[in-house]
Order: sequence, then C-alpha cells, then structure tokens
Amino acid sequence: MKKISFTLNGEERHLELEPWRSLLDALRNEAGLTGTKKGCDVGDCGACTVLVDGKPLNSCLMLGVEADGREVVTIEGIEHPLQEKFAQLGGAQCGFCTPGMIVMAKALLDENPNPTEDEIRFGIAGNICRCTGYTRIVEAIEAAAKEMKK
Amino acid sequence: MRRFEYFEPATLAEASALLARYGARAQPLAGGTDLLVELKEQLRRADCVVNIKKIPGIAAMSFDPRAGLRIGALVTAREIEISPVTAKYYPSLVQAARELGSIQVRNRATIVGNVCRASPSADTLPPLIADGAVVSIHGGQGTRRVPLEDFFTGPGKTVLKSGELMTEIVVPPPAPRTGKVYIKHGRRKAMELATVGVAVTLELEDEVRIVLGAVAPTPIRAKAAEALLRGREIDPALIERAARAAAEESRPISNVRASAEYRREMVGVLTRRALQRALDAVR
Amino acid sequence: MSDFSVIGESRLRPDMPGKVSGRAQYAGDLSLPGMLHAKTKRSNVAHARIKRIDATRALAYEGVKAVLTHHDVPRVLHYGSPHPRSASVTKDQYILDSKVRYWGESVAVVAAVSEEIAEEALDLIEVEYETLPALLTVDEAFSSSVRIHELRNDNLVVDPVTVRRGDVEKGFKEADLIVEGTYAMGRPTPAYMEPNVCVSQWSEDRLTMWISTQTPFMVRGILAEVLGLPLTKVRVLVDHMGGGFGAKQDLFQTEFLCALLAKKARRPVRMEFTRKETFLGGRSRHPGTVWLKQGFRKDGTISARQARVTFNSGAYGSHAPGVTAVGTTALTSLYRCDNVLLEGRAVYTNTPIAGAYRGYGVVQTYYALDIQMDEAAEKLGMDPAALKLKNAVREGDLSPSGHPIVGHGLEDCIKRGMEETSWPVTRKSGHGVVRRGRGMGCEMHGSSAYPGIKEQGNATVRMNDDGTAQLFTGTTGLGTGAHTALAQVVAEELGLRFEDVSVVHGDTDVVPWDIGAFASHTTYMGGRAAQMAAAEVKKQLLSIAAEALEASHQDLEIRQGVVRVKGSDRQISVRDAVSPKLGLPTPQLIASATYKPTKSYSFAAHFVEVQVDTETGQIDVLQVVPVHEVGRVIHPVAAAGQIEGGIQQGIGHTLTEDYVIDLQTGRSLNAGFVDYKMPLSLDMPPIRTILLETAPDPGGPFGAKGVGEDPIIAIGPAIANAVYDAIGLRFRHYPITPEDVVSGLRQKRKV
Repeated sequence: MKKISFTLNGEERHLELEPWRSLLDALRNEAGLTGTKKGCDVGDCGACTVLVDGKPLNSCLMLGVEADGREVVTIEGIEHPLQEKFAQLGGAQCGFCTPGMIVMAKALLDENPNPTEDEIRFGIAGNICRCTGYTRIVEAIEAAAKEMKK
Repeated sequence: MRRFEYFEPATLAEASALLARYGARAQPLAGGTDLLVELKEQLRRADCVVNIKKIPGIAAMSFDPRAGLRIGALVTAREIEISPVTAKYYPSLVQAARELGSIQVRNRATIVGNVCRASPSADTLPPLIADGAVVSIHGGQGTRRVPLEDFFTGPGKTVLKSGELMTEIVVPPPAPRTGKVYIKHGRRKAMELATVGVAVTLELEDEVRIVLGAVAPTPIRAKAAEALLRGREIDPALIERAARAAAEESRPISNVRASAEYRREMVGVLTRRALQRALDAVR
Repeated sequence: MSDFSVIGESRLRPDMPGKVSGRAQYAGDLSLPGMLHAKTKRSNVAHARIKRIDATRALAYEGVKAVLTHHDVPRVLHYGSPHPRSASVTKDQYILDSKVRYWGESVAVVAAVSEEIAEEALDLIEVEYETLPALLTVDEAFSSSVRIHELRNDNLVVDPVTVRRGDVEKGFKEADLIVEGTYAMGRPTPAYMEPNVCVSQWSEDRLTMWISTQTPFMVRGILAEVLGLPLTKVRVLVDHMGGGFGAKQDLFQTEFLCALLAKKARRPVRMEFTRKETFLGGRSRHPGTVWLKQGFRKDGTISARQARVTFNSGAYGSHAPGVTAVGTTALTSLYRCDNVLLEGRAVYTNTPIAGAYRGYGVVQTYYALDIQMDEAAEKLGMDPAALKLKNAVREGDLSPSGHPIVGHGLEDCIKRGMEETSWPVTRKSGHGVVRRGRGMGCEMHGSSAYPGIKEQGNATVRMNDDGTAQLFTGTTGLGTGAHTALAQVVAEELGLRFEDVSVVHGDTDVVPWDIGAFASHTTYMGGRAAQMAAAEVKKQLLSIAAEALEASHQDLEIRQGVVRVKGSDRQISVRDAVSPKLGLPTPQLIASATYKPTKSYSFAAHFVEVQVDTETGQIDVLQVVPVHEVGRVIHPVAAAGQIEGGIQQGIGHTLTEDYVIDLQTGRSLNAGFVDYKMPLSLDMPPIRTILLETAPDPGGPFGAKGVGEDPIIAIGPAIANAVYDAIGLRFRHYPITPEDVVSGLRQKRKV
C-alpha cells in the first residue's frame, strides 16, 4: 500500500492505495466520489474524464498513486454554466456520459472560450454518448460559451 | 488489473537496473495509455511496473534550427499537437499526434511510448521515419543512437534490449521548401487505429521519403516509389506511378478492421493524395 | 398559443440536476458494508459439454468468499427475458448449464473481497470441455443434424410465423412489375454506456437487488420463481440507468448468480460487466436475411407482397419469438397492400445472443421494404418519395396489430419532409471523386408491447396535504425523460404546476406493477394510466373545492394549482382546499388506474444527404431531416432527443457497427469500443428534427404516442437510398462498408 496526498476538488486528501488501483477506482471507492463513471475502463469512451493539474484525461488510464502531489478535479468539484445548459437543452439523457462530457467541455472552454462547432466536436471526440446523437451536447456547450461571454 | 510490484526510480540508472533485473516480467510506465489497457485486457503481464515519470531530464521538448527537434521520453502527444514550433516545422507529426486517440489520451500518451510500443499502425511512426528521426537509448553500456527506421523488428518488437530505455527522439531540422503530410485512414474521424497510414516528406526536386504504416509488420519505406520520384520533376502521372508502386510494396494483412486487398488499394489512394498535398504545401 | 398549461413545454427534467453534478446514483455507485465483488469465468469454446468443472482451488484462494458452478445452482429452465408467460420470449435457459452454447458463455462465478482477487481466482477454476460441432451460421444451423438445444428436434427457436392477408398469387398475376431481392443484416449491439450491473443483499430471508434493468417487476418475478421465494420477499430497486435501448429487459444470468453468491457468502455482492462482457454476455440485434418480392401495378400501387424473414437468434432464444413476429407482421403495413404472405422464423446458432433492441425486428424488415420501394420507383420511372406517398398507410387501414390506423401521419411526414428539403432535386450527375446523394426512408412503429406481452399501464396518483401530488409508476427511468413527461401529464390533468408533481419509481415494494420501459410503452401506456389516475384524483379534489367555493363541479376549473369558478373571481388554491382543517379528518386523495392494452402507431420519414468518396469508399452523412408524427409532443426536447439518439445508432448499424464473430471458432473479434465502431461527435451530422402532431391517438395521454424506436428504423433505408443516388450502387445489406463501395464501384466499371 502506498500513501498519497493530493488536492481533490480543492480539498486536501490522504489516501492509502494499492499501486494497481486506477485513479478512477480510487476516486469512486477510496475517495467516495461516484460521479465519475466507468464506461469501458480502457480509455475508449471518456466517461471517466477528470482534470489533473487542469488537463482532462481518462482516469481509468492513470494509476491512483500517480495523483500524489497533484490537483484533481472531478464533476463533483465543478460549478459551471455548462451544467445548467446541459440540463435545460437536452445535453444529457441517461446521464452516464455526462460527468465526463462536462469535465471535458469545461477543459475545452477553459482553453478556448470561443470554439466553433468543429472545434467543439473535435474537443469531445473522445467522449462517447449513446443517447443524444451529440446535437444537443454541442448546442449546450455553445450556449455555455455564449453565456460566459456576457 | 492483476496485482504487481511498483517502483518509481529517481534516475535512469535505477530504472535500467530494475528493468534488467526483472527482464520480461517488468514493464516501464510512462503515459500508461497502452500499458494499462494491455494489463487490463490481459494482453500483457507485468509482475513489476516501473514508473519512469520521476526521472529528471527526459521531459523536455526543444527545437533548434540546426539541431532540430528533441522529444524527451515524457513529452506527450498533446504537447506535440499544440506546439507552435511543431506546427511550423513538423506538420505531418502534428497531424499524426492530432489523430492519436482523443485529447484525454493525448494528455498522457508519450511519443516515445508510441514508438516503443511499436504497433505497426502507430500514427507517429511514419512521419517520424519520413523526417529521418534518430532515437537515443540508455542502457547498461551507456547511450546508443539508432535511426528510427532501423528500430522496429516486427509487430510490437524493437531492438531494445533488456534493461534499456529510450530517452529521447531527435528529428532533424527541415530543409527549406519541404512539404510534410500524414494521412490516416480509418472508419471514422477520431478514436481510430489506422487501417493504413501514409507519411510523405518531400523536399522539392530533391529528396522524397514515403513511409507506410499498418500495412506490414513494421512501418516501411516505400523505396521503389521514392526512387521513381527522387530528383525528378513531379507531375500527376508520376505521382500515380509512385502511388501504385507504393501499393505494390505494401504487405498488409486482413483482419476485422479491413481486408488486405482494400488496404493495398488505400495505400495507392493515400500515397497519391499525400504526395499531391505535400507538393501543394511546398509550392 | 397553446391551450395547455404544461404539455408541449420542455420543462427542466427533475433528474437533470443530479446527472449534471455527478450526484445521480446508478446501481454501480452503491457501496454496502462488507460488499464483495463478483467476476465471471467464460467459455473459450463455442459449443461444448462441460465434462468437468472444479472450483476447489478458486474457493481456497485467499480473499475468495464464494464460488458457483452449474453444480451449485438450482437447475430451473426459465425464460431468458422475464416477461411472464409471454409469447414473445423463449424458455430455454438455465442459470448455469453443463453445456456451453457460445464463446463467452458463463461457466462459473466468483465473489471475493476485491475485483483483482476475484479475477485472479477465475484462473484457478478448472474446466474440461468436450467440444461439439459449432453451428456458426444460419445455413449450418438449418442443414446440420446437431442440436443446440434439446427442446425441439430442429434448431428453430420457435415454430415459424405465417401471416396471410388476401391472395398473393392473384396479386402477383395482377402485377405489371415484379421486384424481388434478398436483403441481409449484420449484428449491431446497443452499447449502452452503463455496463450491466447488479448488487444483491440478503436480510434474513429477504432479497434486495439494486440493478440496472428496464423491467424491475419482471426481474422480481423471475427471481422469486427460480429461487422459490414469495414476491413479498424480493425487492428490486432501480434508480438511474445509463441506457438500455431494449436490451436491458433481458436476464443476463447475473441476477441469479449475484443473488446466490450473496446468499452463500452471507455478504452483499456486486456483479458488474466489463465493457467486453457487455458484448460477450449482452444482447445484440438479430442478424438475418429478408427475402422480399412485390408486385406493382403500373400506377405504382402494390398488388402483392411476399416475404421470408430469417433471424439468427444466437445461442439462446431470448426475444426471438417477439422480434420475429413483430418484424414479420410489420410487413403487412407501411405501404398498402391487400395481398400479403409472410413467413418468419428464428434459428439458434452458437453465437452471442440476440435479444430485444430498439426497433425490435422492424429495423431489419423495413430496411428491406423501403429500399425495395426505391428499386421499384426506379423501374416504374417514379420518384421514390412520390411512390411511397402514394402507397402510404392511412386512416382506417389495418395496422400490423390489427387496430385501425388513426389519421394520416405517414403521408404528413413524407409531404412535410419533401417540402423542407425541396424534394426532389434535379442534379447534374456527379463525376468527381466525391459525390453527393439524397435519399429518404419511412417507417411506422407501435407504442406498447401489445399483443405479445402481458401489456398494461398502471399508475397511482396521490395528493399530499400541501397540494403537491405524487405519481407512483412502475415504468423504469431509462434516461429518456419519459418520467418528466408523465409528470407533465399528471400536472396538466390535475391542473397543478409542474413543480408540484413528483414521480416515484424504481422500487417494486412501492410502485404499481408494470411491464417496464420498453416497446415505446412508457409515454403511451404509462402516461395514459397516469392521466386516468390523475383524472380520478381531480374528481375528488373538485368535490372538496366545490364545497369550499359553494359551486358545482362543472363550474370549476383548475389551472396552475388554483381552483376557480368559471366566469367569476371566486377561487381557492389547491393547497388551501386540501390542507388539514381543525377538527376535520385530512382528505385522502388517491386513485389508481389500469390502462388495458391497445396500440397506436407513430410515423416517420427521414430525408438524408450523404457524401461518398469514391476512392476510399467512405460514406459520410451530411445532413438528416427527420420528420416524426407523434400525436402530441409532451416534452419537445425529450422527444427530439430520442430522435437524434436513434439516428446515431441507426447511422451506426447502417455504416460502421457490426459485432463480428470468427466463422471458424465462434470467437468475438471486436468486443470493445476500439473495433466496434459507433459514430462519435465528429462523425454525426447536423440533424434538423421536425415534430408533427397531425394524427393524435385518443388512446394516448392528450393524444400522445411513442417516439423512442421510430428514428432507428427510418434512418437506415434513407441512407442506403441516398448512397444509390450518389453513386448508382444498390446495397441491400447493412453495414455498408467502404470496402463494399470500392469493390462495388470496381465491378461497375468493369461492366
């Protein structure tokens, strides 16, 4: 077991983890935050997207022990106009891809506050949604970007 | 994932020693976007995982107009993707990086890792080879350099010996008037493993290198195609002949992604398109 | 300006705040003290008897608390999909059998203190197989003497279905043109984002199961039956689900295994599929062939239609009877024809199981029918949309279920789509490398599982003493927003504000029995029952209000939570009307309703533009204009969402999705998202959804009908027809791959 310390959604956390525990499993189990979902566990679907030091990545492909000394942000730590837009405009249906999608969209808007539709679609190309056909997800992200310009 | 022993060596020497001691039972961990997938799908066993991300001096990417581009072992695909320097001088490498997995994957996957994994369809390999990249390998006997073109020996197989680690890739500076193109063929526009990959580096009326991915056990230079073009004035008819030559040089297999016949045909189509685009870029 | 108070508005779905914040709980998020993790050992052979299976070493492994093989579980033959005594499903499964019938079938399960240990323990289970000849194709299954199941003396899942109307022979004699073809369908799978998961916990002799399922009451029923428990001792809970698309109405054997492991270990157990297992152990759409022959008169009307539908059920029957019946019978309709002879059958093969999936057999049969209409249009010299419009079913025609069709929904869809896309467009024939084409495809689909399954809608509405109301519904929350629609129905009927209605669902101890969420049943059947129950409560409420306002029922109306005397300013809030009064018993306003089955049909016409790269064979869908007639739109965003999502899945199965089996060994070749290719954000076109309300069905709440399955049926033929328009190649199968295009064009050039 390895002891790690890291910042999780702004709070200092200390966990003891086996090295083979993915960050995804560590977040969902040891850290008790089940908002981040496991859709495939092998980096193909983006449902497990979290921010580590501001960068979006698949938490299933990172070992939990690698979070030591980092800043991790999950969906539970996010408050952003994206959420209201997803909720109002049909950006979510079953909701399983939604946490990862919103985290990715936030990272996208953090880097590029004024994305074109193509840039949005490129940005979320690693997030699979099986419910919406992506049309309203793109709309929601555009609406959030617009809202933030005000 | 099955359980494993875990190390975070602080130096290259420590890492090499660990890898040498455990031999085939150890796996180095950089980005983890290949290794963790293979461990989870039981395509690879690791009794010991050696995380090399704490080793200093291998994380930098730098460019010098005379020395070229240096890509340290921990440089991610995303860094290559968004760097203004690579955009200007190594556009085919950028194109390849851009199509590797997703942004989430690219924030972790390293170029060196992509190279060492040696998948025949890996995206960064054809452009790096087309640009004449050379790799530095650290091992028990110090450092050795190997042209990337000579690095691969089979699908997933390289010249790396037990205990060795690749520390950087050096890509020569581009000659003036060079066009560089990478085209990836896949069934959809992202999250794809190339069914065919073609990289072309074309120095106008001088040198041309055409590298094919996913159509042989390793990436291969389409040397017969290159020979048709080298030093000549290139017109559409010549491009067509070169494309066909490249197709004939490819040795693709059939699998669930595509049949060999289709892949061979696509080598022709993509080589033609890549050559044309490279030419347009240079003019 | 709508007369409605809340119907037709896209109100904020009550499940949304939880879903966008990560707080929404799915079955796999649950953690119970002492919970164990279960993993499944799967066969690596397609057809074999288990000569010997020994789990002793696994059981002895440190951290393992329970192991089950076929020796340890009750041997009860049961339905693969827990619809009770339904003609739609097959009774051919054991919890674990001494035989395996497809590569990847479960042979043993382990519960351990961690997933890693459970996985390691699987390696310690010793299995000896006696391989049997594997029948991997439909042809092999028909011609071989080997039997995959012992229940029949052939490899059919069920007796073939035959549907007859009129006289086909006479019809074909009348025909001026006969068109015939065989159409072939691949194997798409639903690929819901949330892998199957269940958690079991025993308390004394009571079983509680948290599970991602569309049919909690069915799961409860079959668990009780197979485990020998009264229904009062089994409680099934479903909160949020990460998609199901029809496939999560089946049993995956995990339900029993999870419960039995929990019983044996005396600890709660979670069993979660890996993504790979959602393929191996999941359900796909039925692959198969449709042979179709139609006779056309020179005016374009259809004089005869004959078809033979053959579906590949995989190793178990699951929904083969229902899918075959519904898919085959659908061919009596859509385009009018008095003389019809249809045969449908389903056959076992040693391949992964096909089951219920959005569209339920009609995706396959209408793919054939609609493409053939385009073929006929060409031969007749008619525009395809015009031909389809001419033959479209309409008011009074007999639907596949035998009910008369209400309204002219299909005609309305076709006409509107033609208008919106300026159809037809005369185009110069394309000669470039990249060519564009346009096509359209139609469909109709029923709301409700009638008559195949014991269909009914149940609802209970209860008003609280603060004027808020609760709807108790047994329909499950798939994630479509249907529960929001139900809340809107109740609010509208009762005259309450939307915010004052909440929906209670997902606990079989609390809500009324329901078949579950599938067959586009929730809005239509569940919604109508909710409306009926709300109407009863309204009567009770009006009695109280009438007294308070000293008026009669008829003079009262309720809107936005206020009861008014019409044409006067006398009013009382609902809250005040029902609130407890000193000295009086608090009124109990509660009513239940059961809506007996009927069926209504929704319609759609999809207009599509595609682009084909003639050198690589790549097909891109550039634009989709889906026109859907749904009776009444309760929640526009939710309705459009269903359509757009269905189009994603439909583009998938038409162009890139195919779950492939090695035809030598039966092994899965692409049980994962790397090589099972779904359209992603960059692959999906802009979609301009149009909703029509021109044929409301009086059987639905406020005239509403279902919409969930329609989009996935119409999009496929629309794309195939557009590809023909682009490059002159007629494809009669899906998926249409780039290789198909390239080799097709090569053949064409030779000719």
